[in-house]
Amino acid sequence: MNHKLTDGGHVMHVGTLARVEGEGAMHIEMRDGRVTDVQLRIYEPPRFYEGFLRGRAWTEPPDITARICGICPVAYQMSACWAIEDACGVSVPEAIRQLRRLLYCGEWIESHALHVYLLHAPDFLGYDGAIELAADHPAVVETGLRLKKAGNQLMTVVGGRSIHPINVRVGGFHRMPRVSELRALRPVLEQALEDALATVRLVSGFDFPDMEQPYEYVALRPEVGYPIEEGRVVTSGSHDFEVRDFPAHIDEFQVPHSHALHARLDGGARGPYVVGPLARYTLNHDRLGDLARNAASEAGLGPVCRNPFRSIIVRAVELVEAVAEALRIIDGWSDGSAPSVAVPPRAGEGYGASEAPRGILFHRYVLDEDGTILDAQIVPPTSQNQAGIEADLKALVETWTDLDDHALQHRCEHAIRNYDPCISCATHFLDLTVGRS
Amino acid sequence: MTGATLVVGLGHGDRGDDGVGPAVARAVAAGSAAGSGVLVRTQEDPTALLDLWEGHDHVVVVDAVVTGSPVGTLHRLDLGADAPPLPPGTWAETGLAGTHAFGLAATVELGRALHRLPARVVVVGVEVRHLEVGTTLSPPVTAALEAAEELVWREVAADVPG
Repeated sequence: MNHKLTDGGHVMHVGTLARVEGEGAMHIEMRDGRVTDVQLRIYEPPRFYEGFLRGRAWTEPPDITARICGICPVAYQMSACWAIEDACGVSVPEAIRQLRRLLYCGEWIESHALHVYLLHAPDFLGYDGAIELAADHPAVVETGLRLKKAGNQLMTVVGGRSIHPINVRVGGFHRMPRVSELRALRPVLEQALEDALATVRLVSGFDFPDMEQPYEYVALRPEVGYPIEEGRVVTSGSHDFEVRDFPAHIDEFQVPHSHALHARLDGGARGPYVVGPLARYTLNHDRLGDLARNAASEAGLGPVCRNPFRSIIVRAVELVEAVAEALRIIDGWSDGSAPSVAVPPRAGEGYGASEAPRGILFHRYVLDEDGTILDAQIVPPTSQNQAGIEADLKALVETWTDLDDHALQHRCEHAIRNYDPCISCATHFLDLTVGRS
Repeated sequence: MTGATLVVGLGHGDRGDDGVGPAVARAVAAGSAAGSGVLVRTQEDPTALLDLWEGHDHVVVVDAVVTGSPVGTLHRLDLGADAPPLPPGTWAETGLAGTHAFGLAATVELGRALHRLPARVVVVGVEVRHLEVGTTLSPPVTAALEAAEELVWREVAADVPG
């Protein structure tokens, strides 16, 4: 809906955003060529996950929180496991860490392939959606579906099924996959690696609007390798802190127009911050494997990428990294490791974070001595990116005032999809106050 | 192509009436003898159909639908490659209406565009209303299960040679 205001202003309101996960709307007001208000309105109902985690057992968060999202359940499972194990003072052995990374690679492959090919590529190629794109470029969409299927297969072998894996538990896994099962995935992953490299070549040829984000980037950085399943928190403002200090640096707050909490870094004094592929890449370019780093270089990406429209190239580079990592872990796998370690409950507070496909996902739990959850906090990436999305729109719309309403709406939706927002994840929580007289 | 008719129940058993597809599919599976030429699957993600139905030329998909008809009403829709395409825009209004939730109509049209749509895809839809997470089938949908199963069997029989 678009209409002129009596004072000469102009309002554009998109009631339901297409090709984003969940239910959200966009509201933009302009006066005299200046954007006076931008609101990403997330109206999907709140889901109260943190509320109903209270009173549950310490062993339950991986399976309960996985249900927050059908596309990044592994992220919820991993962050929950780290946080509970931290609270209980337990550290898991290397084989379990490697298997967590492998399972997570499956989720990245599935999620990034879906977003790059079915959701984002149509924006760049001038199609309304994947179906129209498939009609003209079936091979392109087939490549995306093949990649997504490879991710699904990897998750099925490691996690027991491709959506909401059932093999994850606090302390590790219910069952370790055998070498023979993992090696059987090799042909699929070798094809996926070719497809991922072709994806980088494809998307690097798209046209990208000029834009440089000034925001602070926040991502994990592990001791070795590219950040996927764990790491310390680092920022482009040269800040560096432990995951347990996340609440000291990042606080959530409500805004009237969204059911999803916004978040700010260090009180918001340095403006919005952004998590996700651009932040991960820019803060960890030196940690990419040779294949992914060379692919990025050939695609014209330097060690820093601050154009949100180029996030599609970074996702493609991360597809290469995830497939190459999966192959590396599979090749080094051996049978005989225990699938889990005991995690006896104790009173305490624990913190965990991992890199969901859309950015840092933070969990915090407070347990009593018998493991009952007294308090829970989940900070998903889309919530953290809301302010960045709104700031992008504000900057972009002022350069697009010559576009007609239809074109402007399309461009704005494209800009929102740069973040692959997952609204269902973002609305997992809302403070609810009921006044009674 | 295989001679087996594929029956797929789409939906989630813990999301109220959305579980009607898997419930009907389970009933069909229980009633089909080995070697009957019927293959039954349940599935939560419609996009998985693109791989599931590979090699089949006759597919019956059972799914929950919302059209405004009385709850429990049965619908039948021909969507295969031999049928005309769905009107543009249909895809955005199916499934969970999100990007991650690519709906049945979108999957059918994607399959058509990629020439991966079986010749005959019949959707047996059951009108539903209650889709809250953590609930089971409502009484009017439970009451429609037997008729839905019969309709599936009629569709299966329509493909049996002779």
